[in-house]
Amino acid sequence: MKKRPIALAAALTLTVSLTACNQAAPAPSDNQPQTTSDAPVVVSYGISNPWDSLMPYNSASGSNYSRMIYDKIYDRLAYVHADGTLSPRAAKSWESADDGLSVRFFLDEKAAFHDGTPVTAQHWVDTILRMTDPECPTLGRSAFSVLAGTDSSGVAVAGETVGVVAEDDYTLKLTFKTPTTPEDFLLDRNREYYVLPTHLMEDVAPADTMTMDLWSAPIGSGPCKFESEVMGSSMVLTANEDYQLGAPGFDELDITVMDKNSLLTALIAGDLDYYAIGGSVSANDQPTAENAGFQVLEGTVPNTFFELMLNNKSIDDARIRRAIELALDKELLCEQSTQGHGTVTGTSVLPTCASYAGDYNVEYNVDAAKELLDEAGYDGTTYSLACTSNRQGLAALMQQQLEEAGFSIQVETVDSTTMFAGMADGTYDMGIASHTPNALPLWFTESRFNAENNIFRVPDTAPYEERIAAVKNETDPDKRTAALAELEDYLAQERPFIPLWFGTALHVQSNTVSGIDYPSASFSNENVWEWVKE
Amino acid sequence: MTVIPVFFGITLLVFIFLSIAPGTIADLMGEGGNAISSDQAALEERLGLNDPLPVRYLEWLGNLFHGDLGLSWQTGRPVAESIAQRVGPSLILTGTGVALAILLAIPLGTLAAWKPRSIWNKLASVCSMVSFGVPGFLLSLVLVYIFSLTLGLLPASRMYTTGSSGSFGDLLYHLALPAAVICISNLGELVKQTRAACLETIGEDYIRTAWAKGLKGRVVLVRHVFRGSLTPILTTVLTHIPHIIGGSVVVERLFGWPGMGSLMFTAILSRDYAMVMGVTVVIALTVFSTNLLLDLVYGLVDPRVRQGRGGV
Repeated sequence: MKKRPIALAAALTLTVSLTACNQAAPAPSDNQPQTTSDAPVVVSYGISNPWDSLMPYNSASGSNYSRMIYDKIYDRLAYVHADGTLSPRAAKSWESADDGLSVRFFLDEKAAFHDGTPVTAQHWVDTILRMTDPECPTLGRSAFSVLAGTDSSGVAVAGETVGVVAEDDYTLKLTFKTPTTPEDFLLDRNREYYVLPTHLMEDVAPADTMTMDLWSAPIGSGPCKFESEVMGSSMVLTANEDYQLGAPGFDELDITVMDKNSLLTALIAGDLDYYAIGGSVSANDQPTAENAGFQVLEGTVPNTFFELMLNNKSIDDARIRRAIELALDKELLCEQSTQGHGTVTGTSVLPTCASYAGDYNVEYNVDAAKELLDEAGYDGTTYSLACTSNRQGLAALMQQQLEEAGFSIQVETVDSTTMFAGMADGTYDMGIASHTPNALPLWFTESRFNAENNIFRVPDTAPYEERIAAVKNETDPDKRTAALAELEDYLAQERPFIPLWFGTALHVQSNTVSGIDYPSASFSNENVWEWVKE
Repeated sequence: MTVIPVFFGITLLVFIFLSIAPGTIADLMGEGGNAISSDQAALEERLGLNDPLPVRYLEWLGNLFHGDLGLSWQTGRPVAESIAQRVGPSLILTGTGVALAILLAIPLGTLAAWKPRSIWNKLASVCSMVSFGVPGFLLSLVLVYIFSLTLGLLPASRMYTTGSSGSFGDLLYHLALPAAVICISNLGELVKQTRAACLETIGEDYIRTAWAKGLKGRVVLVRHVFRGSLTPILTTVLTHIPHIIGGSVVVERLFGWPGMGSLMFTAILSRDYAMVMGVTVVIALTVFSTNLLLDLVYGLVDPRVRQGRGGV
């Protein structure tokens, strides 16, 4: 009988000891900032996927998670808001020049690298010239293919001048192959253009750029300075007190990679102050966050576009592709997936886009789908529908709806890499995917219907490319809307992919950090210079 | 000597399986079918993915002979550097969990076998049931719910408190929950093996002889039963060593612990095959070292092995 109290006492002692182990640290359940004068003010930041190389032009994936890190260490020309508006960042202002073929950026004179060297237009020029140099093993170089003097893969063409000039110390001029407004360029490419500390690279041959020691402790000109990292697991950044837009309201930003499903738990437990991307939470988890004392707000603009990818080679009849769209009850699928935070669509173009030409949605109609299938002579071929594990429920519902219309569907659950590789090589007939849209009319279509990327396996991309070029080259707003309508009509007729819905994210508001622009985080930038740890 | 061909066999098999798996790191570019083929081609060219499989394997093997595990395809940094950063945390986490499990399982399994109708036997059964029946992820979530979210006693993630100097106390504080999960997950097998080994020994003639000599129960248990059961118990314990080095994928991911398990998981998802091969090499070498260690320990604990008369 004496053993039980002893065991209880031992258990109690162990728990108390472990809790006491961390007396110096704040208790996990109270979200109080550290108040001791010499203790650094730390923002704990969670992220579900690791970053790649710390050299932004050497990113194998080019993922948004890597961009979130680059965004803090390096500087970009502008800050893109969720609604498609732009704010100054490295550039204070910009203007169109040379009849729309060029954009002139007026750089902020206060911008400086973390080693104190001022950022000049020449740094931007040297960065772009080095990255477009054929000797330099740049990854994601196609981002530069919009510039004059480069080929379709972004490599500088011998004998031609790359469209980047420093007009003076703080005026940068980019010249494009086709007329491009500053807004179009920045919405499309801002997240892929960073300025590098080229003054530290002068003696390094372009071929050796990526192997420089500089990238293990990078020096940028962004709002945070690199301090240390455990590769792929955690990173410590410190606030750049001299950032031209203002010093962040914290001393240290500690970034930890953890499972996506643990982010909200860690936030509630007080281990995190905020998590990427935008503190987003599913509708299912919204009550959990609210019950734990967090405010959850819906984003101001759609930040997700869902589509059903189609293999236009194996589903080669447009009537069958249109029948698939008619057989899908998008409203029900959208409700099941977003729980009221989505709007069905028949186009990839956001309603907030200036050239928006209509929603092109078709009503759910099983009978019409059956008629189209009969007309097309569908022979009962079984189509594979690829999805990732988190979308199995959605895929099952789609399968059920398509089978009601007479289709034979086999669902295959794979990881996203396998799915996109399988769509590109024709392994799968359909696949469920989602993307982050922006306010440009061609954000989705331009990069998917050409020789460089034909993920829908369209037999002839020329009709798409012609219509896309017509939209792209048109600067008159009304004519551009008309050109977009023509493209959308063609897409609706051919249905190479099926637009499903736009989703709006739910953002868990941090109780400890103020000033976070949650919705804009979806666009790969975060306003850390405005964050204040309270 | 069989270790050498087995080692190369393992690396070759893993290399082949990785190569035939669908998708490469180039397919990850552009996120969501937005990849540009020239960007993909540049990456494939740089990583040598266009070379024939045997050429790639021999090149990797040649570098391995020079002690070079290559560069991570994802980060562009040395694989060995990443592994070196991750081995320590895995050793701390899984090592603590397994050590705790051993400390609990051996006495519990021995007592359960010694007194089959006692509370110890019931406790051993409950431990085994929980350990075998409750998956690690569920156990993690339950413990986090109780100790972090409800009671607010322990942290739910990370290895150290942010901004802390990384003190030993802070480490213990963060270690408690993930180590407990690993301890419970390993406890069942260890208790079961210990109990079974002791039960088998208890039935031996020399135990009856020890009782007949009038030895006290505690002496029979410790000197004869436990010692006689040591070989199978040690086998079970030592086979956990590769697991300690390799880390625990689920626990490390859920608790944001920077160990080998999460490194391997991320490498597989991001198709970073240089990293996967590097981790494979480390784990394979650990398995072989453990087997060697087992042979040595057998000799120490069992005189019959030492004298070349078998016995295992």
